[in-house]
This record gives sequence, C-alpha cells and structure tokens, in this order.
Amino acid sequence: MAEAAVIRTNMTDAAPVTARAEEKLVPYASQRVAYWYFVIALALFLLQLVVGLWLAISYAFTIPQSVVDVLPFGMTRAMHTNLLVLWMLLGFMGGTYYLVPEEAEREIYSVKLAYIQLVAFVLTGVIALVGFAFGWTQGRPILEIPTPLDFVVVLGALIFLFNVAMTVIKGKRTAILGILLGGLVFLALLYIFGMPFYRNLTIDWFYWWWVVHLWVEGAWELVTAAILAFVLIKITGVDRKVVEKYLYIETALFLFTGLAGTGHHYYWIGAPGTWLWVGGIFSAMEVLPIIAMVIDTFMTQRRHGVVIKEKIVWTFAVGTAVGHLIGAGVFGFAHTLPQVNYFTHGSQVTAAHGHLAFFGAYALLNFTMFWYAIPRLRGNMNVNKNMALSGFWIMSLAVLGLGSAMVVAGIIQTYVERVLGDGFMVAQGHMQLWFKIVIVFGVLLIVGLILTFWNLVFAKRPVLESEAIV
Amino acid sequence: MANKNAFYIFLAGTLVSLVIFLALTWDTHQQVDALTNADKLTEQVVAGKHVWEDKNCNECHTILGFGVYYAPDLTKAHKRIGTEGIKQVVLQPEVVFKDSIRKMPNLGVTEQEATDLAAFLEWVSNIDNHDWPPQDSADRMSAAERRATGGAGLSRGAAAFQQNCMGCHSIGGSGGSIGPALDNVGTRYDTATIEAIIVDPESVNPGATMPPQSNVSDADRQAIGEFLAKQQ
Repeated sequence: MAEAAVIRTNMTDAAPVTARAEEKLVPYASQRVAYWYFVIALALFLLQLVVGLWLAISYAFTIPQSVVDVLPFGMTRAMHTNLLVLWMLLGFMGGTYYLVPEEAEREIYSVKLAYIQLVAFVLTGVIALVGFAFGWTQGRPILEIPTPLDFVVVLGALIFLFNVAMTVIKGKRTAILGILLGGLVFLALLYIFGMPFYRNLTIDWFYWWWVVHLWVEGAWELVTAAILAFVLIKITGVDRKVVEKYLYIETALFLFTGLAGTGHHYYWIGAPGTWLWVGGIFSAMEVLPIIAMVIDTFMTQRRHGVVIKEKIVWTFAVGTAVGHLIGAGVFGFAHTLPQVNYFTHGSQVTAAHGHLAFFGAYALLNFTMFWYAIPRLRGNMNVNKNMALSGFWIMSLAVLGLGSAMVVAGIIQTYVERVLGDGFMVAQGHMQLWFKIVIVFGVLLIVGLILTFWNLVFAKRPVLESEAIV
Repeated sequence: MANKNAFYIFLAGTLVSLVIFLALTWDTHQQVDALTNADKLTEQVVAGKHVWEDKNCNECHTILGFGVYYAPDLTKAHKRIGTEGIKQVVLQPEVVFKDSIRKMPNLGVTEQEATDLAAFLEWVSNIDNHDWPPQDSADRMSAAERRATGGAGLSRGAAAFQQNCMGCHSIGGSGGSIGPALDNVGTRYDTATIEAIIVDPESVNPGATMPPQSNVSDADRQAIGEFLAKQQ
C-alpha cells in the first residue's frame, strides 16, 4: 500500500527526473535494441523449463504407450535443447548490442539490421519448434534444425557480425571488443562444421563436437568473458587496464586447455588412442581458467577496496563465477579422465554436468547482463532488491538440487548398468525416485524464474526523487 | 605494458593448443578408415544412417555414448540382439515393451528401413572404440553375469546362453528385460520344447514376439536347451 502511494504521488512531478536519469543510464539510443533480445530470451527460457519439467516426468514415471506414440520423448527433448541454445544466443547477442556502443563510443552501425536479425532468429526458432512436432528434423541432437533453416541461421549470424564489426571498425577499439568479436566470429565459423551429412558416424560425431564443445568451451567462453569484464568495469569502477589484463590471461587459459581438451569427447568414438592422452591431460587443466576467474572476481573487489553499489548485479556476477566453477569445473573434471569416463560416458552423470554447467556458466552470466541492462533500459533503477536476490537464490539452489539428484541417478546407473551389468531398464527403475526429486526442484526453478522475469520486466517500480541505485 | 605481455601469452597459448588439436585431427582422418572398417561402409549402411536420423532415434538413445540418455546405448546393440532383434523392436515396440517401465513410440518404420537400420547398427558395432561401453564388453563380463551363468567353470550351455540370449532375457536379475526372465523356465518347459522355441517361438507360443534364432548353431541350441531346463 505504502509503495503504491509513493508511485502515485511521484507519478506526475517525478517524470522529468526519470527522463534525465534515462539519458544518463543508457548513453546511446541504439542500445535499446538489446531490450527485445533480452525479453524474448527470458520468455524462451521459461518455455525451456516447462518442456524440461515434462522430460523429468517422463523419466520419473511410466508414460503409457498411447501418449508416447503421439508425444515422443525425443520430440520434446529436441525442443528443450534448442530453446536453450536459442535463448542463450539471443541473450549474448542482446548483451553484445548493449555493450558495443558504450565500448566503441558510437551508435550501432544499423539498428534496422539488428531488428531484422532478431526477427530472422526468432522466426527460425518458431518454425523449428513447430517443425519438430511434425518430425521435421535432421535427427542429430542439438543440431536438429533442418538444412534450409541452417542457412537462415547463417544469414542471421552474418548480419549480426557485419553489424557489430562495422560498429567496432568505425569506433574506439578495446580489448573487450577484440575478444568479443573474436569469439563471435569463431562461434559462427564453427556452426558450419555441423551442417553437412557425414557418411561415417565417427566423423559425424568428430565434427559435431567442433560445434558443441568448441562453442561451450571456446567461443562462448570468449563472448561471456568479454561481457563479464564489461559489467565488472562498470559496477566496480576498477581500472580498465587491470580487468583487461585478466581478460587476456583467462581467455588464453580457456583456449589453451579448451581446444585440445576437445579430445575428451573422442575417447570412445573410434578415433586414435592418442586422444585419450591429449584429451585427458588438457581437459584436466580446464578447471584452471575458471579458478583464475573466481579468484580474479573476488580479488578485484578486495584489492581495490571498491564499495559495490549494484548489489544485485554483483551477486549474479559472483554467482556465475562460482556456478561456472562448480558446474563446469568440478563436475566436468570429475568425469573427464578416461579411466572414470569409461564408466560414466553417456550416463546421467553427463546430463547432471550439462545442467549445472550451462546454468552456472551461461544462464547466470546472461542474468548478470539482464540485471545490469534491463533496469537501465526501463529507465528506473529502483528495483525490488529483496525479490531480485530471492530470485537468484531460488534459481541457483533449485539447479544445484536438480543437478545433484541427477548425479545420484547417474552414479546408480553407472554402478548398476555398467559395473554390475544388470541392464539399462533395471538401472532406470532404481533411478526413478531421483527423477521425482528432479521434478520438485524443477518446479522450484520455474518459480524462481517467473519471480525474476516479473521483477525484471513487468514489476512497477516506485519513482523516487533521489536516484537510488541499488 | 603489462597488457602487451598478457596479449602475447594469450596468442601463444592458443596457438600451441590449436596446433596440437589440428595435428591430431589430421591423424584421425588418416586412421579412421581402418578403425571404423570403412570398406564395409556400404550404401545400405548409409541408408540405415538416414533412417537413424529421420526417425530421430538419437533423441532418446545414445550411440557411441552421444545423444540422449532416455533409452539404452546402441553402439553394440547389434551384438546384443542381432538383426532380427533390432527389427522386432523397431517394427513392434508396443509389443516388445508391453511390460517395460519405459515405452518406445511406434515410429512407422517399414520393413526395408528396419533392415537398413540393422545394417547400420551392425557396422557401428564393429567400430574399434576401445571396448566401450563396459556393459557390452566381453572382457568385462560382470560378476553377476558370471554368477548367473554358472560361475568360473562356465558350462557350454551357460556360455552359449550368455552369448546368444542375455541381450533380451535375464537370469538372477542379470541380462536384458525385453523378453521374460528365465529363472524358473525349467519348471515349465523341457529341453526339447526350449529347443523348439529357439528354432521357431510361435510353434510353442502362437503370437510370440521373439524372433526365430537362426544364427544359433545346432550344438549351441542343444546346450542352451539343457542349461535352461535345469533352471528350476
């Protein structure tokens, strides 16, 4: 009630204040294109979670034949993963469009192209999802979308790269922009390796990982490191030189370990045995850059004695560093050595690692940018801080919970199916309980996301005289 | 100028890793034909791979350990249940998995597609992939399997059962669950009947979903019959 009163009383006379604040909050008008990228990304994430809940139910209970024939698990699983890729890429692209003008100190080359590209990606996504329902698919996990749509994606990516490159070329060049652009070009190039039909299944999977591994442990790391560096400079006020130095060292470590580390996917596919050595050694080191990132994030604040005013953004930034370490670093390391991987490969252990790593490294990173940019784009920084932090904790603990339940299921599977040799379905029977736990945490995750989505995009915010930045 | 050094470290580290990666990629291309028996990669195998992709199989199953973990890994499926078994499963999943805790959709696969798919899976099962997965590794036959098939001194019948039948049937909780468990099968059938079932399941059980096991030799069939008749 009190809050509502404040809103009403301030509605009329505070309007000019807001307008002035807005100018300062978002220095370049073209940054506004980012807003629709963010909102659509959030909506797609919500859809991904709803589909994911159905997948967990399919694991936890016996779904009758009549339902399975109409709504096969495979169809919904394709939706789940494609929604993941689409919303995260839209988040990264929105983040890029938001930060490039501030870094390059000029407007985006073409706002129109940015919107055309958004429409191209969203249309592709909608057609792909509807297509899956009718069995229009390439049938290769994550890279399901049929070839004609692949070309639309490539076209959209080219528009995006052209637009960003033209902005950077004509403006100021910074290390952040260099790494960001490098990562985006790398990302687009790798996609091409996933497009052809390969006759040999071994070669097929070999290049499948050029897309999937080199995206998540290469190109995406560059893009997100750049976005994180941008946000850290803005909210901590630490000297740019310091942040950029760490950006170089961390991305060097990411690429040094990540490129040859691709080998950890080549142990059991019919590739030469050398990969077991190279993959094992390099991927064991993949945790190093992540540790460096966590230390760096904390030290940045300590060493410089900075008082962080934007508590929400800071919480998500630290959360992504820690989440990255747990999900990608620790859980990745746990089963990356060939001796362990022989038993865990292709089990729920992999699925657990995937969920924890994607959320920790990339979902929280996107949310860090959302919380930095969306309040500014809405021209009002008076965010409900407690609700925002609750959103962070609910989502993070929910993912930790569902990931842990999947780990337990994976250990049961590894032991019963692979060590005892008792058969796949026998193992799945023992695992069903843990998928019921996944459902509970999945519901919690949806609650956390709805809370965050609403708070970010829809919540009415009191307009205060003082420009309180929370 | 600390940042200049940092930039060079970045460049050097990336290049070293990239060179190793590309060199091994080249090496993989040199060796892959031998490791995957590319000479046996016929047009029928490729047709089978198209069926595999068109029917979205990989979106529930893993192969070479990749894909989705909702259904069993199919890398060595052909070694487990053979061509006839694979065809049986894809043509009539609603019958095969009637009592299973997890169902497989009927994907409208034709007889020809099923044959091609089986050819594809047979080719895959012979890829030299360091004896993965463990559950299908002959060298790693689990303790439970050894117990079920008669301990250290494996009888001929137990060994033949392990080799030919356990992809679908189980004893003592070990083995597949596509077909019924055979723990007490000796109380229902004698040796001759079991042998008759192996040759033509429908001769004993009209409407049986088990395919005829034409690949089992006469001697093995007799040994399996004697072994199972003792399971009481």
